[in-house]
Amino acid sequence: MIKLENISFDHCIKCTVCTIYCPVAQATHLFPGPKQSGPDAERLRIKNPELVDASLKYCTNCKRCEIACPSDVKIAEIIQNAKWKYVKVHWFRPRDFFMSRTDLVGGLATIFSGLTNFIINLKVMKVLMHLFLNIPYSRKFPAYQRGTFTGLYKKKFMQSQKVYEKRAVFYHGCFVNYNNHSLGEDLIKVMNALGYGVDLVDEKCCGVPLIANGYIEKAKKNAQYNIDSLGKTGDAVIVSTSSSCSFALMHEYPSFLELDNSSYIDRLDYITKFIYDEFTAGNIPQMKAVGIRAAYHSPCHLERMGGVIYTLGVLKMVPGLDLVVLNSECCGIAGTYGFKKENYEISQGVGQNLFRLIEKAEPEFVVTDCETCTMQIEMNTKYKVLHPVTLIAMALEEKNKGKK
Amino acid sequence: MNRIETDVIIIGGGATGAGTARDLSMRGVRCVLIEKNDIASGTTGRNHGLLHSGARYAVKDHESAHECMRENKTLRKIAWHCIEDTGGLFVTLPEDDPGYHRLLLEGCRYAGIPAKEISIRKALQLEPNLNPGILSAMTVPDGTIDPFRLTASNMLDAKERGAIILTHTRVSAILKEGSKVSGVSCITKNGDAIEVMAPVIINAAGVWGQEVCAMAEIKLPMFPSKGSMLIIDYRINGVVVNRCRPPADGDIIVPGDTVSLIGTTSKEIPYDKIDDYTIDDDEIDILLSDGEKLIPNVKNTRALRAYCGVRPLVAVSGEAEGRNISRGIVLIDHKNRDGLDGFITISGGKLMTYRLMAEKTADLACKKLGVKKKCKTHKVPLPGSESRFSSGRTVKRFSGIPDSVVGSTFYRHGQRLRNIMTGEKKNYRLICECEMVTEGEIEYAIKKLDVKDLVDLRRRTRIGMGPCQGELCAYRGAGLFHEYGAATPEGSVELLHDFLEERWKGIRPVLWGDGLRESEFTYWIYQGLFGLSHVNNKKKKKG
Amino acid sequence: MIYDCVIIGGGLAGLTCGIRCAEEGLRTVVISGGMNSLHFSSGSIDLAGFTENGSVVKKPFEHIKNNAAKKKDHPYTKVGIPAIRKSLDYFKEKVSDEGITLNHNSDFNHFHVTAIGAVKPTYLSQESVFSSRGKDIIKSGAKIAILNFKGFRDYYPEQTAANLKEHPLFKNSELMLGDISLPYYLHTEKNLHEFRSTDIARIFETERYLPRIADEIKRAAGDADAVSLPAFIGINNYREIRGKLEAMTGKFIYEIPTLPPSILGLRIDHAVKNSFFKHGGEYIAGKKIESSVIKKGIVESIITGSRGTSSEIKAKYYVLASGSFFSGGLQSGVSSISEPVFDLKVKGDSKRSKWYSWNFFDKKSHPFLSYGVETDSSFNPSTQDGKTVKNLFCAGSVLAGYNPVKEGCGGGVAISTGYKCAERIIREIKK
Repeated sequence: MIKLENISFDHCIKCTVCTIYCPVAQATHLFPGPKQSGPDAERLRIKNPELVDASLKYCTNCKRCEIACPSDVKIAEIIQNAKWKYVKVHWFRPRDFFMSRTDLVGGLATIFSGLTNFIINLKVMKVLMHLFLNIPYSRKFPAYQRGTFTGLYKKKFMQSQKVYEKRAVFYHGCFVNYNNHSLGEDLIKVMNALGYGVDLVDEKCCGVPLIANGYIEKAKKNAQYNIDSLGKTGDAVIVSTSSSCSFALMHEYPSFLELDNSSYIDRLDYITKFIYDEFTAGNIPQMKAVGIRAAYHSPCHLERMGGVIYTLGVLKMVPGLDLVVLNSECCGIAGTYGFKKENYEISQGVGQNLFRLIEKAEPEFVVTDCETCTMQIEMNTKYKVLHPVTLIAMALEEKNKGKK
Repeated sequence: MNRIETDVIIIGGGATGAGTARDLSMRGVRCVLIEKNDIASGTTGRNHGLLHSGARYAVKDHESAHECMRENKTLRKIAWHCIEDTGGLFVTLPEDDPGYHRLLLEGCRYAGIPAKEISIRKALQLEPNLNPGILSAMTVPDGTIDPFRLTASNMLDAKERGAIILTHTRVSAILKEGSKVSGVSCITKNGDAIEVMAPVIINAAGVWGQEVCAMAEIKLPMFPSKGSMLIIDYRINGVVVNRCRPPADGDIIVPGDTVSLIGTTSKEIPYDKIDDYTIDDDEIDILLSDGEKLIPNVKNTRALRAYCGVRPLVAVSGEAEGRNISRGIVLIDHKNRDGLDGFITISGGKLMTYRLMAEKTADLACKKLGVKKKCKTHKVPLPGSESRFSSGRTVKRFSGIPDSVVGSTFYRHGQRLRNIMTGEKKNYRLICECEMVTEGEIEYAIKKLDVKDLVDLRRRTRIGMGPCQGELCAYRGAGLFHEYGAATPEGSVELLHDFLEERWKGIRPVLWGDGLRESEFTYWIYQGLFGLSHVNNKKKKKG
Repeated sequence: MIYDCVIIGGGLAGLTCGIRCAEEGLRTVVISGGMNSLHFSSGSIDLAGFTENGSVVKKPFEHIKNNAAKKKDHPYTKVGIPAIRKSLDYFKEKVSDEGITLNHNSDFNHFHVTAIGAVKPTYLSQESVFSSRGKDIIKSGAKIAILNFKGFRDYYPEQTAANLKEHPLFKNSELMLGDISLPYYLHTEKNLHEFRSTDIARIFETERYLPRIADEIKRAAGDADAVSLPAFIGINNYREIRGKLEAMTGKFIYEIPTLPPSILGLRIDHAVKNSFFKHGGEYIAGKKIESSVIKKGIVESIITGSRGTSSEIKAKYYVLASGSFFSGGLQSGVSSISEPVFDLKVKGDSKRSKWYSWNFFDKKSHPFLSYGVETDSSFNPSTQDGKTVKNLFCAGSVLAGYNPVKEGCGGGVAISTGYKCAERIIREIKK
């Protein structure tokens, strides 16, 4: 018998609503749906830990089941837990190991970014990865940038940030650090416009890919590192441009990894919530009309956090933005999930609805909060994807830059 | 009128009755078992399903304790698929007499029960959900036993060896020729009369045995003592947890299949109330508050249902509570007691000792019939337990079907799994999603296990026994009853109605919190969406 | 965040209220703690189906009017007939804009057929359940084929047929049964047996399968004039799909709601949500309200969030449309009934044994189904100390004073009270 802690499955009324909204169950019949894999099977797993279904691996942890559940059952959490709690055998899986260490791989890749990007997109390499690492041939990889964002920050921004009295800590996450420096630059631009100076602190990967690949202990270590680091930032506000990192920092640490994040939780916001609060409090910088038609896709984890209304609230205040809000659909990538050969087809299948909606909306750009959604949409549609912060940065008048 | 000639008539389809039928069939004696309701629908199916180590009797009743330990070992061999070796703990709470712990250890040693004192830390390792405030702990070889499957396996084996099983058939008269019994007349559910003729009649009707005796004009007063239990939504413990004190209310939590049961309260009731399964709110309160003392999580968990059983003890004057009577086996040859030859009553005892009771009864019946063959029930495994192999290996043989589904079926039917998970794909489709009951299992039960309605089906398969109490599967089950030719379409809707009413009896006493939400939902579906009583009302008016 | 109107609960009542408020230009947000009970409903709107003693109501408005004097606390009495009518017209118009036509039988109730073959009165139904054409077909004693997908575990047509043929409405009809099967290539991955209604609805929504399905229907239904299917002919563009199928088969197509998920209900859910978004409403999904601040009879704010992260939401007006026990609008403990968000005064016995009837299908139904928040005549509730909360309104099944199943009035009460609350708020804000 195991110590029973997460017992929310007890509230399940078997209404089956979660299965209707599960994007994976829609795309493949190999996954019996969140109800059966979560609360139903959990009772059996408590009875006999051997009764773990192999199909659990298809869950992308998009958490749409939890949003749909009228009984407050933490369905996705139960499934994630079950994946790793009951499976004792852990053999070394090189693909999952490297894929989940985004900071390690990112750190190495950015040193020789040009070479890395060249190599991973070589046909030969793709075939080799397909064969030996079970990484699907057709999957496009995110390009790595030269150097890290932290390095860039030290060189280019650290000095200029000192003039601001109000301080904000930016949890940049791996994607900004290794793949998308310009989002970080945009963030600094926007925060400065709001009158905040941006600081960086030592941070590690938030742990989302580690959790997804079953490296729970390593995820705990990273989480504790981040908690210690962020906890020491006095009363500065903390923002993140990644909806998944924010979700981990806010929710997964206390509830899934069972760590105490109270030292910073009241100061941390996903960026659009922060901007929204500033905007509605009257702190609105001068913005020029952007004159863009964009379609907005709401990432699953942001939905779970209830953060979509803030992003929409902010976007609605950007002048000259013609915004089409797409129906809420999962893009299918689900972090590292879509990068695995066995999931590739499902991942693509899940995303079909969304891709169709995007094509139908005929925007100039797609806007979304999540970095892996961005990769998935850019790979499957012809549109460039922007982060809301980038869009606001585009709208900011040059003169705002110096506001204190 | 139908007429059946046989050697022995067994009245009562509890574990003892079914066990006796099996024992006799194995000795080549023809027999007919007559049960007014369904097998294991009386006291057999209304206890907490503890595979006693005997420790609960070790202080006061050495003979029972010893019997339990012996049968415990036997059942583990012949009925492993009905048994789970969970192990048991006796724990002392701060408010309990610390001296009882010693007393119990000594009692166990005396009765040959391997009880072992362990540290509190060890106890918490063994059962992490235990109240950490316990003062002392010991392990005993307790386990769990599923009374429905045990009885069904006995019945199935008896049938396969030629016995006739008549469920939902009520004995209306006992026929006599002079001072000898000659048979019984009985009436089936549909009102058909059947006469069964035999020189020996065994009254294995438990607490209802008083009525059976009355039909033979024999007075055998029963001492009905009601025990109530509470079922909790899931396993809150993996090990049987007993409270280390003299037996009292609310002192045991048993993990039974997917649920846990808190037992029991004990209450003397008048004989005319033995079919009234009402449970009072204060009984529930006692079980909850005492259960919480053993495993604190009880208070956060959904109570699924409450139920009660009536202990079949033959009355002994001067006893205040049913629990203080010895549960010893009472075997009465009415030739000696009342001068009626061929009539035997078997009563007392407990689920644990059903096989021993059946053996003793069959011995007596054989003696009367002049059959010399010896009992073999302690050696030959029951259907499903034919040979032992692990669940892990069995589960792996069915690749492509979820482990949880195969594992659950294997857990319920042991090796008879191969009669269920065969052939067509439809056999693997889930009908009851909470307990993972497949269509194959339902078909098997309807065709092989003497299932007459959805309530019977539940006893064979666990359909509708999970958290939703039949909210989705009741309708599917009813539909399948028709599909497999066991009911007309209209009849299947009536079965559905009756099943939901039966479920309601157990839900009613614990209707709060998530249980109430579940019931509201079930009511929406069956009354709101389906309009079930609008169909039935019309029927009743016509009838 | 400051809104004009915060609605707690994204069900029929909350969304009707939300559509009306948003349409008037009020900044409106609906906070929903999970999906609503439309997912398990018949998709028809019951207005008043049964009388106190269980007989069928023919003219619902007349019934409501006659009952008003007797039932002072009934939500209908508080809304009043003119507003009930207005609200239903409004609702019809809004869902019609989203592609769902709701029909009614002038001022009379009409009937819909349930899966087990019961015939239940209701007021508004989708075309596949009630239309004048369907009415004529039944009247004329046409041949009706009751079909199912072979192996679909959530519907058993034999039960429908067996009980239906006993009903006077169908005394002239000839009923036949049949099975249709899906194209073989849909069977390969997983067998049809584990399909839920939504999975099959998606197959119907796939254009290229339609001709094949139509052929199957024609084959199974033979010379029948009308075909009844378990409800799954598409969720989002069902009107179009049904039209095509009727054209291809030449048969009238009827739908019967199945075990949850109920496609007929899902259509209504999607329609009201789309309408709400279209009118500019904001929506927070999957969030429970943790607590609220009430001072001097005025709600100052509510706190949403889970575990550590919470946010305060403020509004001028609040609507509590959080549903009954199922949806968490009401809570029950071992011996208590409460309203968890504002701790409002509720009607409900404190003794558990009074909550239920002895039989599950008791004629009197169950008392707990009519428990709920007590309000004054304008749907303002009061706190435990008896103080009225002026900027809070209650709508839908969180209200006390009616039994939605027994009276057959769940949909009507939800829509009319939701609408009424919206009207109140609009009036107050425009003042």
